[in-house]
Amino acid sequence: MDGMLLVSIALPILAGVILLIASFSEHLRQAETLGKKKTGVRKEQSEGMKGLHIYVGLVLVASVALTLTTAWTGERSLTLFTLLDEIPVFFQIDDIGRLFATIVSIVWLAAGFYAFVYMKHEGNEKRYFGFYLLLYGVLTGLDFSGNLITMYLFYELMTLTSMPLVLHNGTREATMAALKYLFYSMCGAYAGLFGIFFLYRYCDSLIFTAGGTLNAVTASGHGGLLLTAVFVMIVGFGAKAGMFPLHAWLPAAHPVAPSPASAVLSGIIVKSGVLAVVRVIYYIVGPEFIRGTWVQYTWMALTLLTVFMGSMLAFREKIFKKRLAYSTVSQISYILFGLSLLNETAFTGAMLHTVTHAFVKCGLFLTAGVFLSYFGYTKVDQLDGLGKKMPVTMWCYTIFSLALVGIPPTGGFISKWYLAEGSLESGIGVFSWLGPVVLLVSALLTAGYLLPITMKGFFPGGENKAVSKKEPSLFMLVPLIVLAALAVLLGMIPNPMIQYVSDIALTLLQ
Amino acid sequence: MDEKFMLLAVVLPLITGVLIPALPFKNRKQMCIFMETGVLLTSVLVILLLLNPPSDTLTVFRFTGNLSITFRIDGAGSIFACMAAVLWPLAMLYSFEYMKHEQNEKAFFLFYVITYGVTLGVALSENILTMYFFFEMMSLVTLPLVMHTRTRDAILASRTYLYYMLGGAAFAFIGMIFILTYGTTSSFVAGGVLDLTKIGGRTNMILVIYVLCFCGFAVKTAMWPFSTWLPKAGVAPTPVTALLHAVAVVNTGAFAVLRITYFSFGADVIRGTWAQNALMGLVIFTIVYGCSRALKETHIKRRLAWSTVSNLSYILFGIVLMTPLGMTGALSHMVFHSFMKICSFFCAGAVIYKTGRNYVHELDGFGWKMPKVFVSFTIASFALMGVPGLCGFVSKWNLAKAAVESGNGMAYAGVVALMISALLTAVYMLSIVVRAFFPGKDFDYGTIRDVEDPNWMMIVPLVVFIVVMFVFGLHSGPIIRLLQTIAAAAA
Repeated sequence: MDGMLLVSIALPILAGVILLIASFSEHLRQAETLGKKKTGVRKEQSEGMKGLHIYVGLVLVASVALTLTTAWTGERSLTLFTLLDEIPVFFQIDDIGRLFATIVSIVWLAAGFYAFVYMKHEGNEKRYFGFYLLLYGVLTGLDFSGNLITMYLFYELMTLTSMPLVLHNGTREATMAALKYLFYSMCGAYAGLFGIFFLYRYCDSLIFTAGGTLNAVTASGHGGLLLTAVFVMIVGFGAKAGMFPLHAWLPAAHPVAPSPASAVLSGIIVKSGVLAVVRVIYYIVGPEFIRGTWVQYTWMALTLLTVFMGSMLAFREKIFKKRLAYSTVSQISYILFGLSLLNETAFTGAMLHTVTHAFVKCGLFLTAGVFLSYFGYTKVDQLDGLGKKMPVTMWCYTIFSLALVGIPPTGGFISKWYLAEGSLESGIGVFSWLGPVVLLVSALLTAGYLLPITMKGFFPGGENKAVSKKEPSLFMLVPLIVLAALAVLLGMIPNPMIQYVSDIALTLLQ
Repeated sequence: MDEKFMLLAVVLPLITGVLIPALPFKNRKQMCIFMETGVLLTSVLVILLLLNPPSDTLTVFRFTGNLSITFRIDGAGSIFACMAAVLWPLAMLYSFEYMKHEQNEKAFFLFYVITYGVTLGVALSENILTMYFFFEMMSLVTLPLVMHTRTRDAILASRTYLYYMLGGAAFAFIGMIFILTYGTTSSFVAGGVLDLTKIGGRTNMILVIYVLCFCGFAVKTAMWPFSTWLPKAGVAPTPVTALLHAVAVVNTGAFAVLRITYFSFGADVIRGTWAQNALMGLVIFTIVYGCSRALKETHIKRRLAWSTVSNLSYILFGIVLMTPLGMTGALSHMVFHSFMKICSFFCAGAVIYKTGRNYVHELDGFGWKMPKVFVSFTIASFALMGVPGLCGFVSKWNLAKAAVESGNGMAYAGVVALMISALLTAVYMLSIVVRAFFPGKDFDYGTIRDVEDPNWMMIVPLVVFIVVMFVFGLHSGPIIRLLQTIAAAAA
């Protein structure tokens, strides 16, 4: 038993549950009084939020510290209990889990502090932060899981606990979006589970092992069946990652969620789909099994299609947060494309892009949230001239945009470079050159849909009115600056990161 | 224990039931205490019997030759009996409260308690005749419960109920005669009793008879195309829909199918034939069909009834896999589904009892006014969807594992059906949950001012069910091992 591991998962979950119970009983009382008074007016809740913020802040910092120490101090594993006779709930920290847990922690801190200010105008803060903390624990569990069943357990929990974040504001639109999110996620999760049943039959164990655990003897003669199962799993877990054909939940769910929630949805939750695909392909099935099969080619075609389609849709979209959501669809498929190539360089690129995109997209949504909460702007063309009012925020936005397009010296450049190189050296016929072409076109489109906002933000044209500068509150500004700094740092000093990721790639693709 | 106690267990509820209209009770409370005592005594007796099973069989009545009413306790039967013994006292408690707003309580409880005895009779039967006898009796004693409200709907529903049940029994009868003629004995023997030399080369005949017999018994599980009676029977008071039409009656059907498959015809005879594939096709279709109908239905109880149609076919799917693993899956889903479904029905019943609302779209904001009920409903929904950590996942895992293990192409389609069904379950259950807890920003709680949680008699059963769902979900080892032993001995 390793207590540290358990505590790092349990602490945020418990803290979140306590908050939820408090919120639940408060809401009960409220429904009671509202019913009695026959009034539809909500009680103003501004008092007492300070205590809540201190509580959430402390728990957040404590659990992030715990998670990071747990992740980075030595090999740990823990068998909690046996869910099914043959399969225990088993945690094990490995390099890729460490990487993901770290990204999650950084983004969670940034979006958490940001939400202290942002959530004031959304209301219902207790419930929001309750689910927010809960979700952090669940994601830590997901990153640390040591076998496929444990991962599936946390994967389902993640869907269920992140859904309330989507329907937070309670409008009809939000409820429909949340149900759509639920439907797509469940669809994906069950497709994944379908594959797990078959892998359980034909693998030695479901414990994550570099290179895979597929048993060549029992699997022989069932190749077609297994390939189908693996393909279904890729598409299924790809649903969370917004891969075509199960991508439609993203543009529906992200815009209606509160901005910090869309930031973590887009930055982190979609990455869980990536993690699940990595786990299945590289740790259970083994890359050799699908290399050169129809599964690999179809997968590649799907990702390239998604990359292109996402960018095109983002380019055409006028609602800011929806545009960012489409951009996520496209960017995550960069990562999946890198994974589908099954070589070291591309894998390195994919992981680098995971890190960069997590910070950058989180930052972009947080910026959108600033504009939304201070001015109420949701459309892209409303943002003209904002660079004069909030120069620092606009500069952060510009850095994020550059990183997403892939312009040096930002992180996006490095990761895209590796992705393109990996594609070229893969030598898979038409895909080896088609990949870089699509990536390039998509990068141009990305520039086309992100950078005009900067230009119009600083140079709105027309007469030069003097406007007063008013940056957002520090709780919002500092996370933005930190994320922007990280995005640049990843490009300026890329070597430690590349080293770390390519080491993982080496062990997986020997 | 002495084998005579088996008869006592079956007869005790019958006596209790018959005494209800006969005894002069001073008030309602006294009557309730009397009934609960009778039912509890029976349950204690059943549990004691299961813990110290008598080694002998008990022949109560012999018609002629090998035709007799005989009881015995074996693995599969004890699981079924144990389930009834746990659920009945809780359901009684719930009914005491629920039946306050219905007429004619005494008649209701008379049949409700008698059904307990009949269910135990099915579970403890030693041969096919005994099982058939109690199977028929079950149709007859539950009929008055369906038409309890005496409304036009109820009369029509009970007519449908009767036709389906009698029709099913007729097909089952053919199977029984066949077993009596071509079997070495009428008893249930693991591995089947068919005398292959008597049958000679007429294998196709056995298969046709098996299919007929299967369908006949499966009418009670509401397999397609015999499923319409179940949603219609939802007009009955909720304790009936919950305990009988989600657990006792439908599981009797599944249990009977299990008996004839593994203990009369023998799984080895059927495995790999067209009969297996045809039945599996029907069952897989029912799994998806039931869920789709549930999705379309807006009446809460009927929605849950369609969900039962689909879930009972999970059990049949496990049975038609014809392997020990399949039987394990079937038994586990039989147990787990009972708890999940009775819990959801009791929640729906609590809503109907407290507010008289019957439709899904009337439930906006109810989560905040009936928190205990709707939290239970939410957990039951998660369990039905198969969220890991709750019992639904465990049985689904076992069923799917068995299907993959069997290596049958048709069974793979079954796994797909299980997943589609899980997805649809998520939609039709969680759309209720979301409605109840997230009614929308401008929802006026004034419209549901008088809605509140029911009293402890309705809440206690819900709490017990939820605890059971979590215990089996988080620590499934012991029960699954037990079921595996039973299945290994049978197939």
